[in-house]
Amino acid sequence: MTAPVEVTPREELRVVGTSVVGHDFEEKVQGALAYADDWRMPGVLHGKLVRAQLPSARILSIDASDATKLPGVRAVLTAADVPLNEVREEASGLGLQPVSMPVLASDRVRYHGEPVAVVAAEDPAVAERAAELVIVEYEDLPGVFDPEAALEPGAPSVHEDGNGLVTWRFERGDVEAAIARADHVVEGTYRTHHVDHAYMEPEAGLGWIDPNGVLTLRVSTQVIEHVREIARILGLPTTRVRVMGTYMGGGFGGKEDMTVEPYLALLVWKTRRPVRMVWSRQESLLARPKRHPFVMRYRTGVSGAGEILAQDVRIVGDAGAYPLLSPRVLFAGGVTACGPYRAGAARVVAVAAFTNNVPTSAFRGFGAMQVVFGYESQIERIAEAVGLSSKEVRERNFLRQGDPLVTGEEAETHVGAPECMEAALGALGEAVRRPGAGHLRRGVGLACNIQPYGRSRYIGDKAQCWIGLERDGSVTVRAGVTDLGGGQAASLGQIAAEVLGADPSRVAVHIGDTALTPLTGGTFATRQLYMSGNAALKAATELRGRIAPVAAELLDVPVDQLEFAQDQVRIRTNPARFLSLGELARAAEDQGLLPQHLGTFIAEAGEFDPRTGRGKTFPDYTYGCHACEVEVDTETGVVRVIRYVACHDVGRAINPVRVEGQIQGGAVQGIGYALTEDVAIDDGVPRSSLFADYLIPTSMDVPDVQAIVLEIGPGKGPFGARGIGEPPIAPAAAAIANAVADAVGIRITSLPISPERVLDALGRGPAVGDFSG
Amino acid sequence: MTRRAVSFELNGLPAEVWVEPHRTLLEVLREDLGATEVKYGCGEGVCGTCTVLLDGESVNACTVLAVQAAGHTLTTVRGLATEGQVHPLQRAFLQHGASQCGFCTPGMLLVAEEFVREHPSASRDDVRRALAGNLCRCTGYTKILDAVQAYVADGDR
Amino acid sequence: MYADPFDYAAAGSWAEAVDLLRQGGEEAKVIAGGQSLIPMMTLRLATPGLLVDVNGADASRIERHDGRIVISAVTRHADLERSPVLATECPMLAEAASLVGNVRVRHRGTIGGTLAHADPAAEIPCAALVLGADITMLGPEGERRVPAAAFFDTYYTTALRTAELVTAVEIPVPPKDAGWSFLELLRRASDFAVVAVGALVTLDEGGRCVEARLAAAGVGERPVDLTEAAQALVGERVEDPAVREAGRLAGAAVEPSAAVHASSGYRRAMLEVFVRRALLQAAERARGAAA
Repeated sequence: MTAPVEVTPREELRVVGTSVVGHDFEEKVQGALAYADDWRMPGVLHGKLVRAQLPSARILSIDASDATKLPGVRAVLTAADVPLNEVREEASGLGLQPVSMPVLASDRVRYHGEPVAVVAAEDPAVAERAAELVIVEYEDLPGVFDPEAALEPGAPSVHEDGNGLVTWRFERGDVEAAIARADHVVEGTYRTHHVDHAYMEPEAGLGWIDPNGVLTLRVSTQVIEHVREIARILGLPTTRVRVMGTYMGGGFGGKEDMTVEPYLALLVWKTRRPVRMVWSRQESLLARPKRHPFVMRYRTGVSGAGEILAQDVRIVGDAGAYPLLSPRVLFAGGVTACGPYRAGAARVVAVAAFTNNVPTSAFRGFGAMQVVFGYESQIERIAEAVGLSSKEVRERNFLRQGDPLVTGEEAETHVGAPECMEAALGALGEAVRRPGAGHLRRGVGLACNIQPYGRSRYIGDKAQCWIGLERDGSVTVRAGVTDLGGGQAASLGQIAAEVLGADPSRVAVHIGDTALTPLTGGTFATRQLYMSGNAALKAATELRGRIAPVAAELLDVPVDQLEFAQDQVRIRTNPARFLSLGELARAAEDQGLLPQHLGTFIAEAGEFDPRTGRGKTFPDYTYGCHACEVEVDTETGVVRVIRYVACHDVGRAINPVRVEGQIQGGAVQGIGYALTEDVAIDDGVPRSSLFADYLIPTSMDVPDVQAIVLEIGPGKGPFGARGIGEPPIAPAAAAIANAVADAVGIRITSLPISPERVLDALGRGPAVGDFSG
Repeated sequence: MTRRAVSFELNGLPAEVWVEPHRTLLEVLREDLGATEVKYGCGEGVCGTCTVLLDGESVNACTVLAVQAAGHTLTTVRGLATEGQVHPLQRAFLQHGASQCGFCTPGMLLVAEEFVREHPSASRDDVRRALAGNLCRCTGYTKILDAVQAYVADGDR
Repeated sequence: MYADPFDYAAAGSWAEAVDLLRQGGEEAKVIAGGQSLIPMMTLRLATPGLLVDVNGADASRIERHDGRIVISAVTRHADLERSPVLATECPMLAEAASLVGNVRVRHRGTIGGTLAHADPAAEIPCAALVLGADITMLGPEGERRVPAAAFFDTYYTTALRTAELVTAVEIPVPPKDAGWSFLELLRRASDFAVVAVGALVTLDEGGRCVEARLAAAGVGERPVDLTEAAQALVGERVEDPAVREAGRLAGAAVEPSAAVHASSGYRRAMLEVFVRRALLQAAERARGAAA
């Protein structure tokens, strides 16, 4: 069933669709905005974690006596001090057997960097020295560091019940029969790597006990709803804990799981003092969850005309030592593994395996990113096999509205990938492509993608937003969203301003406080515009509906003659007759009608059967296409991106400049993922935890990104918007790999596309693998 | 390890702190002087979030000792605005959407201001090179370059 | 994130610095720009008991005396980059300085500091080697001077003795008709080089090589003088296959270790490529200088 989407025409919108600058940005450019580590409290203690130095070991003893003796040390806590030492999230949402993660490792450690103890001291330098003085005695245990090896019989067990965390199976049609019928069977194995979010703001927070005895944490987090887990760990009622989210210095999924929260909570509760904690950059690189490495094995059956008859995909993802959000990441990867393309029959098996590597969890793109490298490399190979251009192969196979996905559910809204491809290729302009000189070769490549927005339907997602009109006509918005820097708060203000006719400067948005703002669910899964945006739209629309009759009566016109604009409610055909919003608010109050409203948005529900792999999964998808030109130095293997165009169909851009910014920033993160970023881990131990060695792109390493924002197919967000937070990171690696193939005729199937790997593929590389020196 | 008095000028005002020599300028600015606009990002001198101007030249506050700032002039991003008016470069950042999470923004603004002061007719590629030492994880740099270029082009600045 | 406490003394002269270092003994370290030392301390990789700050011991200074350029040890990379003396007399050093770290590092970091730190992947030590610089040191025993070739020992280790420090660098002005090149391979802008190569080439009127000097960084435990690998070029035209052969010889002469993002074999292979590129560029500049 395709639900009709009602969309207000652009010309009737006043605030939505314009690039209003949010208040927070004015604070940011002046350096005035207080991030998590910028808050101060008198008498604060400083927390520091003691982290495991081995990837797999039994803890024999922990000796904190030297640490405790250091002047200024106020607490050294270990597993025995944690009331309930487990984070037990059943991340699949389907009642799978959960595996718990300790807050502090008790009997054994499962990855290098796992927290073992936590120290609080009067001075941060003392806390750091004390943490070094906590002596942990280990017995080395065998570990397993490759996800496929982890699933082999006899592999060292990371957890008692074995190394298989989750296996998703999706199947539609008879894949084997379709492959038997195919003219070509194109096979490929693709491997991706560990990468770090590398947000500029390291994990940080401040905790204290407020006058009501409520344990209060002000932290940089995407998810204030972790308040429930924090309360559970401490054995407190949820209402005895309060979490306030600060404006984040970037998150990208890396602040979706808890970071400093449980440690701050423990230290505050034990010491009854305010406690501050910030993780060093090196700690963050060492031990924060990374993006999942995937091994993706594709077998694609195609007809002689290039039609995809069957997709057979097996994905194994490295979950690292603990579950975190791996089940959902593999779910999203599995659902989208066939890309924005039809397949006569399809089967996807997506497995998450435990290893003794650093855990992996949410990261912008969330599984649906890695698979783009798989399916878009396959498209190029199909094109080679059938002798068509890859553009033609895409055109012949693009998913269309109403077509089934691998789960059997339909693509419910417009699939804008074809228009995005036309626009991106048009902007890149094939004519400007020119051969490089000598050892420099140029090539162009493209990649399309499909990225879900919103959480899996069976989770039953909800969000609330409260909007009130003040007696002076200004507007208050309260919502529990957290703001990553993408303007999540400001967008809600724009929506409220649009509906109520208020000037955006007269709208105040209060966010991210479990005690005072209605909960919206965290900022992840590109869900906030869809969820809290719709909640804000509902709240504003319902509020307007409630107070409009008051205005209609005073202005003596029917309600449908009113318009809300310019801080007024007025008669559409006679704007000279109006009430100010303040007058309306006061008139409503005089009638005993409070001009405030709590809006609730409940996402479309749907059933999914994990045994058959069929049913409804995500609410909707955003589509895109990126195209680029690269230059390959055939003597060094260095790949430079010369030009880059990124196009997405966003349905409706609530704030065009911010949408462009999401696209440009996402694309550059994708370029870093493709070419330079790599958390290199040897047998569970990172080769480096220096930020200097984690190569996120600088301004010199990337070209300008031309962002093309299409508003073609209305989505399910407010005003027909589609989510745009995650989609733009995903196509870059495949687009660049395809451009490299175009330039030098070699296909890189493992990321990153490092100079050394390119040189090897060109047959000019040295004998590699000697990293031990 | 004895403390000593260190005085310098911070954003046009005299500042005096009583510090031990092992403390970095970053720590002292943030913890003793409330200059939290100077951000900790890596502690290695790589990321640029702790950029301040020392006698008008950009430096990493994380790789300078506070005692080494004695007698010098320091400018943080809060020193760019004059009489409550945001600096034209800050305005350009706002107009062009050059700030997302905002964590790199103070350092980025200071390095850009310094560079354009020294190179008033810098090209886009000059600016690209000048900002290469300041990492941004949100914007992909395009809108930052747009903003600085617009500032260069704005003759009134 | 926090350095261990240490004593600190700012020296007003080189002699005073030596005196302070002598009193501090093995626990004492010199701080100039601090761009390597301070992160090492806050990352808790170095815990000196005393820092002797030499920023006030001398001024940033780049002067030409007869055939030599004399540079005080506290001269910042940024000063090398924009020095009018170097721009005309020794552009290679200005170029090498412009490739050091990021702009903030170049504003603080000093030539003496990077030489004494002796990171084998650093640019300035490599340039000092190929330019035949002499390094002036002052210690309790007085002043001495050693050629760069004798200064670098192994990783982060030099000829400096206890309580001795670098006070100046002297570079013979390269002949006017010499062509130069300083190239490096980066994984990312502003980083340490995977490999860096400096080359200085003099040609005769017929375009044949009279002298070729070569040095590289990132390919061993210290910056490596590779002039021998270029000896076969003398008397020849600086072009393929001779330059390719010089690259091959250079590669055979080194034993690079693996770095986080580059294997040993890749570093050697890149040395071969960059020796060739640097020699070709230097020869082209030499021809330009003659024209």
